Amino acid sequence: MSRTITIEPVTRIEGHARITLQLGDQGEVEDARFHLTQFRGFEKFCEGRPYREMPALTARTCGICPVSHVLASNKACDHLLSVTIPPTAEKLRRIMNLAQITQSHALSFFHLSSPDLLLGWDSDPATRNIFGVMRQDPALAKDGIRLRQIGQMIIEILAGKKIHPTWVVPGGVAEALTQEKREAILKLLPEGLEIAKRTYGFFKTLVPKFKDETSHFGTRPTMFMSLVTPKGNLEHYDGFLRIKDAQGRIVEDMVPTVDYQRLVGEAVEDFSYMKFPYYKPMGYPKGVYRVGPLARLNNAEACGTPYADVALAEFHMLQEYGPITSSFHYHYARLVEIIFAIEMMERLLKDPDILDHRVRARARSNRDEGIGVSEAPRGTLMHHYRIDDDGLITWVNLIIATGHNNLAMNQAIRQVADAYVDGNHLQEGMLNRVEAVIRCYDPCLSCASHAFGQMPLVIELKDAAGQVVDRLTRG
Amino acid sequence: MTQHKTLIIGYGSPIRGDDAIGPLAADALAAGPLPAGVNVISRHILTAELVEDIVAADRVIFLDATVEGEPGEVRVRSLAPDASAMSTMAHFLDPRELLAWSQALYQHEPEAYLVSAAGAFFEYSNYTLTPAAAAALEPMIERVRELIAAN
Repeated sequence: MSRTITIEPVTRIEGHARITLQLGDQGEVEDARFHLTQFRGFEKFCEGRPYREMPALTARTCGICPVSHVLASNKACDHLLSVTIPPTAEKLRRIMNLAQITQSHALSFFHLSSPDLLLGWDSDPATRNIFGVMRQDPALAKDGIRLRQIGQMIIEILAGKKIHPTWVVPGGVAEALTQEKREAILKLLPEGLEIAKRTYGFFKTLVPKFKDETSHFGTRPTMFMSLVTPKGNLEHYDGFLRIKDAQGRIVEDMVPTVDYQRLVGEAVEDFSYMKFPYYKPMGYPKGVYRVGPLARLNNAEACGTPYADVALAEFHMLQEYGPITSSFHYHYARLVEIIFAIEMMERLLKDPDILDHRVRARARSNRDEGIGVSEAPRGTLMHHYRIDDDGLITWVNLIIATGHNNLAMNQAIRQVADAYVDGNHLQEGMLNRVEAVIRCYDPCLSCASHAFGQMPLVIELKDAAGQVVDRLTRG
Repeated sequence: MTQHKTLIIGYGSPIRGDDAIGPLAADALAAGPLPAGVNVISRHILTAELVEDIVAADRVIFLDATVEGEPGEVRVRSLAPDASAMSTMAHFLDPRELLAWSQALYQHEPEAYLVSAAGAFFEYSNYTLTPAAAAALEPMIERVRELIAAN
């Protein structure tokens, strides 16, 4: 008897999601799919708006990573203006992006994933949550809150306490940094770095306990895509696209971001509103690649800051050779990136030009097509606009970090389900692992669909006739 | 007499019509004269770092839109920490969960209220309040002022 297990929605990620596991006659997994069940059509309702509104509009896609959209959108607008923004403005934008990455990675590690990591995949789901973490390790929970607060404070010092930052503008930033603000941010960084290093050290001791999960959480071969600097180092704001294959060979390098369409195609499937980007030269669905912290570290020759480079070397030692393949190590990569972000913010703030008052290039639109690409916490974020002679948007394409990972997430769910799910003896811990592999990618489904909202978790077992034979609800 | 520290948090999406009433009310309060010791924050969603602000407050007033009630109806209710109110999508939180974080981690339980206004229209890509929600802004602000003045 063929049956289907449905997990709806995935807990502790943003937006609406459902996982369906199709079981065969013997209870074995025949198919696994990750569905996005809500559609928001952000691209469509941006049409007809003035392009200068796009940063503010797209920032509202998400309450968690508005800065990422603000940056990619303003970069697309810079392209429409045909300007090169002042060097100081670029450094200030970089600081803001790194603050966002710090804040977002902290949420993912401390609050979403730590319940599994600290309390165990098979622990009581009633206490396997952030309150369980608070009881077991209150200092860790406080560190998570403080790190998020530090990231948020840096964003607010730079951009003000607006609900969504409007300080980044087409052509640069609206206001130069003051000495007072620089000192205020610099004062926050040592504490942030201490938390980051402490957490990284702690997590290194946990990793060996998860050998089983490491070997089953999304280890099937994929390529990796990210931005890199012109020297091939870790990059989050600008640079060039690099793609490595599963063996670590560079298959695309120093590709200008405006040429992204040569690399990335987008397929659609009838079971999800999330698109399925793929590496175009390999075709769909073979062209699976991953983005985000794991891909960025796999692609980078170096980070370029002291502690992060040590951590990067240790990251590469997680495996004997080749790119780090297990998606479980997204957690590790996030912690390395937090260290990098804090170190790099300090370096940028100590740059002699950081207080330069020339922070904005002014122009009218000089092109009818603009592309902006940056690295959001979850991976490469692409904004692509076309405008008419009046500067009104006629076409928008947003390729969101979570979308890039869609094929890889589906592949990973199947692998985890194969390893852990026995449809004849269904246990909560099995299904939690299926969800947990998705949490490794920290998907933001608000951005990807672009959906919004929440529902309780429903797990359903259905037989071939569509009858529910078992049901589990939580949340 | 020790001065009370009051934290006001207005939250909601600025592009979902009446959902914006929380942050709009917060912005209006922040723009006007406020007694000493009152801090105002506007947010799209409630997130974890707000616990640090809550810990520093004696009283927290959340401002939000609701689908319950007649459009424009303003309600005030007190809130208590509730860990079971935990969102299944922890990228954003319920106010009672934030209070529970404060209680569990810092043993701090401020007096807390939710001032809500019922909205009528929450669709995406809408940047203005409906007339009913717009008319609720002032009463909402008045309720907050009354709560602040109560002590």
